Amino acid sequence: MMFLAQLQGELRKLFSRPRTYIGYVAFLAMEILILVVYKLDRTQAYTRKQLQNNGLDFDIYYSSLSITFTIMLLSMFVLGSVFFALVAGDIVAKENEDGNLRLIFARPISRLRLLVVKYTSVCIYTVSFVFFVGISGYLMAVAAVGWEGGLFVMEPKMKVFAAYSEWADGAGRLALGALGIGFSMITISSIAFMFSCFKMKPAAATIITLSILFVDMIVQNFPFFKPYEEWFVTWRMSAWVFLMEPHLPWAKVLESFAFLGGLNATVFVLGWLAFQSRDFKT
Amino acid sequence: MLVIDNLWKNFNGAPALQGVSFAVEKGQIYGLLGHNGAGKSTTLGIILGMVAAQSGDVRIDGISVTQDRSRALRKVGAIFEAPSFYDYLSGWQNLKILMSYSGPFDEKLTREVVERVDLTKRIDSKVRTYSHGMRQRLALAQALLPEPEILLLDEPTDGLDPEGIKWFRDFILGLRAERGMTVLFNSHLLGEVEQMCDRIAILQGGKRVFEGPIKGLVEEQQGYEISAELNPDLTKIVDQVLASAGGSWDGVSRLFMSHDVDPATILRSLVQAGVPLRSFARKDRSLEDLYMEIKQQHTTNTRSA
Repeated sequence: MMFLAQLQGELRKLFSRPRTYIGYVAFLAMEILILVVYKLDRTQAYTRKQLQNNGLDFDIYYSSLSITFTIMLLSMFVLGSVFFALVAGDIVAKENEDGNLRLIFARPISRLRLLVVKYTSVCIYTVSFVFFVGISGYLMAVAAVGWEGGLFVMEPKMKVFAAYSEWADGAGRLALGALGIGFSMITISSIAFMFSCFKMKPAAATIITLSILFVDMIVQNFPFFKPYEEWFVTWRMSAWVFLMEPHLPWAKVLESFAFLGGLNATVFVLGWLAFQSRDFKT
Repeated sequence: MLVIDNLWKNFNGAPALQGVSFAVEKGQIYGLLGHNGAGKSTTLGIILGMVAAQSGDVRIDGISVTQDRSRALRKVGAIFEAPSFYDYLSGWQNLKILMSYSGPFDEKLTREVVERVDLTKRIDSKVRTYSHGMRQRLALAQALLPEPEILLLDEPTDGLDPEGIKWFRDFILGLRAERGMTVLFNSHLLGEVEQMCDRIAILQGGKRVFEGPIKGLVEEQQGYEISAELNPDLTKIVDQVLASAGGSWDGVSRLFMSHDVDPATILRSLVQAGVPLRSFARKDRSLEDLYMEIKQQHTTNTRSA
């Protein structure tokens, strides 16, 4: 019960800060932009050609579900990572910078428990944000092209291709995919959280996290590293897309999620060790 | 109630605390004095477990902070200089969040405390709209939740207007009178310390250079203030006159002597020695005089060592 009360307080703080909502506004704007692009004749012609080349019916697969998938695939890693890193990079470092931690440390709560509460709230924020993007993207797409239709999935880099003609099948798979994205994005939040526990400014925690992820992504694309791509964090974070395959490759999915889970646990412990060993003094 | 036992702490190799010890009895208001960087806040940080001591220990009601911080801090409330709340939340929400780190939220008790610190009307307003005095009262409210037995006050009256300082002083004295609250009071405002504290410790350069009750110290000597134009020769004369009577002075205008010395004798000796006095008036020793004397004495001892 105490943990829930503490978590409730942490979530209240998180969702009462105006900067938490920057990401929501940015994504809504981006979703509107993507929908406008989707309504352009040239885009529709391109999509029609692409679907027809794959033997798929434009009227079924040019749908709200397909658009939602595209929105999530294109935007979540690049744009989402910025906001996850921003919020998680703030969660400890900003409270230290503002002096709030001193009031908390005058209370009989252990540093580990405090971090567990904060980390849980960051994970909740991350997953809920992914679902917000999915749901808001879907609702906008419904407004633009109607709710009916199937789901068309194509991700060349991970070699995933799937088509679900029934709305229910497509929607179910998209929801599962959103859960997978949520879990994958927790890795960004975890890395930023770790840096937030170090003795640094909140902005530094955010920038270092993003730098690590972008360097990982860039280096992964060097031809020399192609055989080792599975060792890159961003590749593992893209593995959620396997959840969209018609025959779920559970082994591949779980391997990547175990990799990410292990990484999350490791960076949390590193953050905790750094936080535990720090002196907090004005 | 609170025992500070031989604390040592370095920051980047520089000594911040060097074997500081003192004890605060139950119901006592204890003042911790010292210049900036003397080690007062570090001591408070160690008591709360925010700062790790190199060696030494702090025991609160017999429980070691280093060994069982959570249990030791259960009955402790703390206020800091310029307390930082979540400005975007209301005072009430701040109290609810901070209290959740100590135990279950007690709405009735919280309302009573809010009323007591005179914040009832504004408790639902966002903290960003609070004045400094209101923030300090909110800080006091959070420190009193849930019902501490020891209050740690770190420069609590800094930035308050005289009215606010008086309100704060009366409030703390009232808490002690009603509940027998134990208070550790860390302040630069010597007048406040003098009016509130029973006992003090003075820190200088991380060392405890004095520890004792205020009352006896301030009153153990009688004090006089002289007004005169003094040159180095006349200064020597004043030195000699006071030394012969077992007294001392600050080298400028304040004279101190034991109660069995007749001040008329001192006055006569000064006049006979040719000191051009314009006035000679009773002015008892204040905590400020004591503080400056001790600091001066410690600095001289350190230099000569």
